[in-house]
Amino acid sequence: MNRLSLIAGQMLQVEWDVDESGVVSNDPLLPPIKEIFIGGAASLIVFAALYKFAGPAIRKAMSDRTARIQADLDSAAAATTDAEQSASDIRAALGDIDGERQRLFAEAEQQAEAILTDGRARLDAEVAELQSRAEADVASAATRGGDELRSEIGRHAAVSIDAVVTDTLDDAAQQELIESFIQRVGATPTGATS
Amino acid sequence: MSDARIEGYARALFEVARADGTLDEVEDELFRFARSYESSDALRDAITDEHVPVEKRQAIVEDLLDGKATPTTVQLVSMVVGSGRGRDLPAIVDSLVQRASSAKQLDVAEVRTAVALTDDQQARLKAALENATGKQLNLKSVVDPSVVGGVVATVGDTVIDDSVRTRIDQLKSRL
Repeated sequence: MNRLSLIAGQMLQVEWDVDESGVVSNDPLLPPIKEIFIGGAASLIVFAALYKFAGPAIRKAMSDRTARIQADLDSAAAATTDAEQSASDIRAALGDIDGERQRLFAEAEQQAEAILTDGRARLDAEVAELQSRAEADVASAATRGGDELRSEIGRHAAVSIDAVVTDTLDDAAQQELIESFIQRVGATPTGATS
Repeated sequence: MSDARIEGYARALFEVARADGTLDEVEDELFRFARSYESSDALRDAITDEHVPVEKRQAIVEDLLDGKATPTTVQLVSMVVGSGRGRDLPAIVDSLVQRASSAKQLDVAEVRTAVALTDDQQARLKAALENATGKQLNLKSVVDPSVVGGVVATVGDTVIDDSVRTRIDQLKSRL
């Protein structure tokens, strides 16, 4: 503590030594008037120099910074717009996907229905054809059976006819046939068969 | 055999029979023999079999006709068979009959029956056919068992068929 008091005393002693104008001021806060004027003028000069030489650079730096911030803001706004557009596109795409899915489902159902209908129709046609063929086969078999029966009857009848007719044609019958022929031909108008 | 050769044989037979004065008989007998030839496979084979010597075939013909036909008919048939024309005998005889009928201004009427016709039946049948056709006819009657019954008369291109055979065939066809 004593050491600090010694250092502050020495500093105050120096201040007191620099004041060579002879005016000794013991106020640690308020310097002498002369010093205030000189110091104020020097400060004004320094500030004017700063305003003149460093001002443009500072203003340009501020302007650049403002422009950069504005560009960043614009870029952020553009990014926001792009993001919103992308979001909109994604939403639209999602909507399209839903629509496409609905369309595909509808199309698939339609195709399935068509295949089912076609299959049923083909099945019905095949059943009808099989039925028709079976009926035709039955009819054909019946006809063939009838034909074979008729043919067999005809064959037996043909075999029998010769024997029956020959056996029944005695001489009297032969003469009757001949006489019948003579009478019939004789009754024909003259020249009718020429 | 060509038509000219058949006609040549027919003309020769015709002239021989006419010169002999037995044309009607010979014509009739030849006609019957020709029809028998057509209807009998055995007779046809016996006359046309070239493995049998000609003399043998002539002997068969003469044996068959001996006592059933005039000598002129037997000789004429034997001559045709001996010349190797037995196969053409029906055509030659038909031509002969046609020639004989033409000479008498007649058309040939061939009548086939299953049993022989009496002379009376032949006369009435001839008259009936002449009435029906309006032609003068030379009636040739043939006994043909295949007719079965009834009569088949042929005058030129006209056939009047009232045979039992045809009726049986029609009935068989319907059956």
